[in-house]
Amino acid sequence: MASKGAAPSTYTPTPTKKTRPPIFSDSDVDWLRPDGRGFHQCRPAFFRTGAVNSAAGSAYAEFGNTKVIVSVFGPRESKKAMMYSDVGRLNCNVSYTTFATPVRGQGSDNKEFSSMLHKALEGAIMLETFPKTTVDVFALVLESGGSDLPVVISCASLALADAGIMMYDLVAGVSVSCLGRNLIIDPILEEETFQDGSLIITCMPSRYEVTQLTISGEWSTAKLNEAMELCLDACSKLAKIMRSCLKEAASASQD
Amino acid sequence: MGVPDASGDLSSEMEVDAFRRLFPLRYFERHLSESVRPDARPLGRARDTTLALGAVASAHGSALAKIGSTTMLAAIKMEVMTPSTESPDEGCIAIDFHMPPICSPIVRPGRPAEAAPVISKQLSDTISSSGMINLKELSLVSGKAAWIAYLDIYCLDADGALFDAALLSAVAAFSHLQIPIVSLNDDGKIVVILEEDDGTKLEKEPVNREKRKLTLSSIPFSLTCILHKNYILADPTAEEESIMETLVTVGLDSSSRLVSFYKPGGPVLAYTSAVQDCVALTRQRVKELQEILDEAISGMEID
Amino acid sequence: MEIDRDHGRSPSQLRPLSCSRNVLHRAHGSASWSQGETKVLAAVYGPKAGTKKNENPEKACIEVIWKPKTGQIGKLEREYEMILKRTLQSICILTLNPNTTTSIIVQVVNDDGALLVCAINAACAALVDAGIPMKHLAVAICCCLAESGYVILDPTKLEELKMRGFAYLVFPNSVLSVLPEGSSLVEGEPMENGIITSVTHGVMSVEEYLKCLERGRAASAKLSDFLRRSLQSQLSNDSSKAA
Repeated sequence: MASKGAAPSTYTPTPTKKTRPPIFSDSDVDWLRPDGRGFHQCRPAFFRTGAVNSAAGSAYAEFGNTKVIVSVFGPRESKKAMMYSDVGRLNCNVSYTTFATPVRGQGSDNKEFSSMLHKALEGAIMLETFPKTTVDVFALVLESGGSDLPVVISCASLALADAGIMMYDLVAGVSVSCLGRNLIIDPILEEETFQDGSLIITCMPSRYEVTQLTISGEWSTAKLNEAMELCLDACSKLAKIMRSCLKEAASASQD
Repeated sequence: MGVPDASGDLSSEMEVDAFRRLFPLRYFERHLSESVRPDARPLGRARDTTLALGAVASAHGSALAKIGSTTMLAAIKMEVMTPSTESPDEGCIAIDFHMPPICSPIVRPGRPAEAAPVISKQLSDTISSSGMINLKELSLVSGKAAWIAYLDIYCLDADGALFDAALLSAVAAFSHLQIPIVSLNDDGKIVVILEEDDGTKLEKEPVNREKRKLTLSSIPFSLTCILHKNYILADPTAEEESIMETLVTVGLDSSSRLVSFYKPGGPVLAYTSAVQDCVALTRQRVKELQEILDEAISGMEID
Repeated sequence: MEIDRDHGRSPSQLRPLSCSRNVLHRAHGSASWSQGETKVLAAVYGPKAGTKKNENPEKACIEVIWKPKTGQIGKLEREYEMILKRTLQSICILTLNPNTTTSIIVQVVNDDGALLVCAINAACAALVDAGIPMKHLAVAICCCLAESGYVILDPTKLEELKMRGFAYLVFPNSVLSVLPEGSSLVEGEPMENGIITSVTHGVMSVEEYLKCLERGRAASAKLSDFLRRSLQSQLSNDSSKAA
């Protein structure tokens, strides 16, 4: 029977003791990342467009354990309460499944990510091509494995392209974490919990324009420069993968 | 785009897509009179169905079910609870069905879909009345601790027959479920024993070494049909559901007992012959689904 | 094999029925319906202009709001709302008042088993009271299946708990006296046998379900007689008052 009414208080059983030593020690430069990657190596990225048939456009992205689906609806009628606008509107929403995180969550909307997704995409979309209407971009994080937001943003721009929404360029997002003296790119969940600072860049690589830059934590100027270089370089590589995914889908549909 | 048949009708002067949009019912009835559906299926045939187990690594059991383009992702997370005093030897199952905004143009964020709580309730009813899961197997320490299995099903793509796909993903997730090995520590809390630990330095005996998998008896499956005039259409798409509104969902378990006969209204009345036809179609479908599930499970064991 | 029931009821005997219409003054139509100790009050407001989002504006929209006796509404009540809505949609003539919404508010007064069927019967009487155009009436009946495979009708709450399974069934009322002449071409006999709504709980064999159907049909005839009689008698009262 399903639990009804007074929900019993439940807990997730945890391992007996945290035997794992703190892997990211400050002075030690030789530690390995939990998944065996190099510090400046991204996880293998997988993209597929057309994941959701009932949407105008959609994409699925998988970076290691981070799995995300984004659907795009519209351009369609704006909400009745909205004022007239001669440029189109963009409406974004990011939510998590209850089983996305290691401890079962509530599966609620993530307001912060929703507005960051909006900001990151807004600059890339030609809003004047769909006046008076709204394009809805909805993301669902199926499984959270770290660097969720940049994956959502890259996946969303691919879904927009799949829906045929006019953009100046694809938006690719990459994050870098600062752990002690090391910079690690595309951090996983475990690394994110230990990080001292994080930097997310979303950019349009073919125009060499940044649509969003988010920095948190403690950074020195030198480190920051290095991290930005790393990110921009990774973004342009990521955009190549995204582009080839689109080309593949287009050539497959022609056949 | 040409028109396949020219019979003095309006349809011969119009593009097929326009006709489909303007006169959806007539468009469908023209197909039905030829005993075929717009997606080339015979009336009683369900769409291609696939099942993948273990789609979510962060859950204890999970499955991705696809019926046509209707996609459901089900995942189970096990948590520990104190059993109620009436049934100290029983665990519990909490089922929730979600329709996130990604799945359909009708669902908007902040406004949950009307269908979601209803399907949620139907799922818990069907699973509990089938008796598929013996809740006693979820017990850990009598009166002290028992498992609560949180089963969350997300609809990733809604294209009709939502309940059938949700039920399939739910039973598949239960058959994929691997219960973690746990022991009781000194504070009376249940803790997980990490698998890489070698058995020698364990100070506590695990309480559920033998109970890693649930025994599933009489697994329920279902088939939704549309009744329209004298036609019965199995496994409708979202478009068919919106045009022809009488839906019947029949749930049968593996020993052909009826776990649900669900017909919420609809303009077409179901007479005994239609009831029997729906049940017969479901019997056939249950066999197919059972095979698909068995295949998915044996595929997992090879890995 | 006999089953003992309270008040010496036989398995297919219904509890005492009562129905009164026009019980609320502000509503456009209302009715209270009770089966034994189970009692439900239904109020109808409308048709009001406009339909809700995602509804077809070419048809009238039916909205059902369930008010439980105590507490908040949960999944069970949401399911009841949906079943009631779909059931009432199928008996109302929706094309007469396109782009309107009719709200039906169902207030549970007391629950002693067979709650959903009681609510459907109440809502149906309230729709008649409000003068909403309908194709035909509907009567709802709850059939229970005991461990021994015996079918009993109209269970109390205590009996519901002991049962292996049950089926809520809704059948159409015969059209003869309710509908205007034009549509009486529907042949009476088989139509009453068609199921408008069926909801089942628990496990049963297909044969047992068919047995429930048969018993339900037999009892629905009695129920629809009662419904028609009570609506007619109150109708004559109303007209005498008005005169």
